[in-house]
Amino acid sequence: MSEKDVLLSIKDLRKVYKTRDGELEAIGKVTFDVKDQEFVSIVGPSGCGKSTLLRIVAGLLEKTEGEIIVDKTKFNPDKEVGFVFQKALLLDWRKVIDNVLLPIEILKLDKRKYVDRAMELLEMVGLKGFENRYPNELSGGMQQRVSIARALIHDPKLILMDEPFGALDAITREKMNLELMRIWSESKKTVLFITHEIAEAVFLSDRVIVLSARPSRQVGSFDIDLPRPRGIDLKTTPEFNKYVIDVYKTLEVQ
Amino acid sequence: MEEIKEGRLMATKKIKEAKTNPVVAFIDKYQTAFSLILFFLTWEVLCRIFKVNEAFLCTPSSALSHLFFKQPDAAYHWGINITATLKEFVLGFTITAILGVFISVCLIWSKTLQKMVMPIFVFFQSMPNIAIIPILLIWIGYGLKTNIIIAFIASFFPMVVNTMAGLNSVDDDLLDLVRYLNASKLQVFLKVRLPMALPYIYSSLKICTSLSVMGVIVGELYASDKGLGYVIANAQKYMDTPPMFASLIVMSMLAWGMYLLVTILERVTMPWRYVKQKSED
Ligand SMILES: Nc1ncnc2c1ncn2[C@@H]1O[C@H](COP(=O)(O)OP(=O)(O)OP(=O)(O)O)[C@@H](O)[C@H]1O
Ligand SMILES: [Mg+2]
Repeated sequence: MSEKDVLLSIKDLRKVYKTRDGELEAIGKVTFDVKDQEFVSIVGPSGCGKSTLLRIVAGLLEKTEGEIIVDKTKFNPDKEVGFVFQKALLLDWRKVIDNVLLPIEILKLDKRKYVDRAMELLEMVGLKGFENRYPNELSGGMQQRVSIARALIHDPKLILMDEPFGALDAITREKMNLELMRIWSESKKTVLFITHEIAEAVFLSDRVIVLSARPSRQVGSFDIDLPRPRGIDLKTTPEFNKYVIDVYKTLEVQ
Repeated sequence: MEEIKEGRLMATKKIKEAKTNPVVAFIDKYQTAFSLILFFLTWEVLCRIFKVNEAFLCTPSSALSHLFFKQPDAAYHWGINITATLKEFVLGFTITAILGVFISVCLIWSKTLQKMVMPIFVFFQSMPNIAIIPILLIWIGYGLKTNIIIAFIASFFPMVVNTMAGLNSVDDDLLDLVRYLNASKLQVFLKVRLPMALPYIYSSLKICTSLSVMGVIVGELYASDKGLGYVIANAQKYMDTPPMFASLIVMSMLAWGMYLLVTILERVTMPWRYVKQKSED
């Protein structure tokens, strides 16, 4: 792929938190590109700055050094970003359906036009029939799935996901993986995905980026050359497992 | 393993029994009324057994009969006195509630404003508000206005200070949720900050009910010609305890009634807080 395809470019990004006990260098130096319609995963040890990285990309945090360049001809970074946070972060006072529609309200779009889409997304995440419940009537995993539907409602071009499936059981997680892959390939989205699960990263991604412990640097980048569409069977193939082991070893070295 | 399982089963069974036993269920339902009746009965019985001097402590029955059956005379006209206190209380509470909510909302809107006025509010809250009464008497004289102002001073500052304290302990992550979509300040306020503030505002309003009754009564005790505080101050001269206790009971009822109204408003405006409890019953 050429330079032209790059949607998001992160150059020499560094982040230092100023805390009461002095400075804390969360991200040392990270550089990578995300191409249009690419699925990129980031793995790294807990506390290495993955969430920090995503929040900087989303414009929620100031970076200390480096550059973040987005190709504004491909999408509008103010409106076409979807963020699934590590926590579900539902608004307690809104019913499930109104939580899903929150981005539509914020972006001042016509809510009526998106109600059907919201219902479809809820069905997709397995929450059909729960649209009129309040968040505190749902389990943690269900809440997280609502937050996934919410991140997709405005049909964002770039989807940032911070361990979105962390709170789910193995089977639901598998289902959500397949759904996410389907949405991604059908609607030509670009995904930047954070996870602890190496197998999940390899299974979903075109590329897996491995970060070191804090202050994080990039210690590996793996192009996952596995055929698409991918099914569960892929996980038993030696090619798949080879990638998993390679990533694992890179992570373990540090 | 087996034992643990059995223990659990038995515990579950007990809970079920308690719920189905009609006597227990009845008491459970009217628990508040039962507690109160029990309290007043004990008071009544103890007074009678020990033949307590009425100039020292009257029985609840004589307090209540004073309230309901005493012929009105100049000093003990319940109609006038209760109306006077009720009027001051309702006005004082309403003014405080409206201003308190309004000011709280303004402070939620602007952090800068909050930082500027909070020290002043904390200063006023820390000041014993009874001490301001003599000054108010010089400025305004005794009566309705002074008592309303005292009620206001007694409840406004705690209300705003509490609302702010609650709000400042809230998770900022929820704000990020709308900020990443570039929400306007008004959107952040209406969609996140204000609904998040509601529970704190209501709990402040509840504190405000008893504090404003207190303010009004303190004002009446100090200087007045009518009201429940006046009844108490006047009756004290004659060691006439029944009207004193009757006044105390009525005051408590007034504050309690207002508290109930706030609770109803709370339930109506925040249905999400009560769905879970309903499904548990
Ligand atoms: N607001 C903050 N102020 C100060 N330090 C912070 C702040 N947020 C995060 N950190 C620190 O920065 C480092 C990276 O945090 P971050 O949340 O990005 O980690 P992470 O890689 O997402 O971890 P995990 O996988 O456990 O979610 C941690 O050491 C954390 O203590
Ligand atoms: Mg994280």
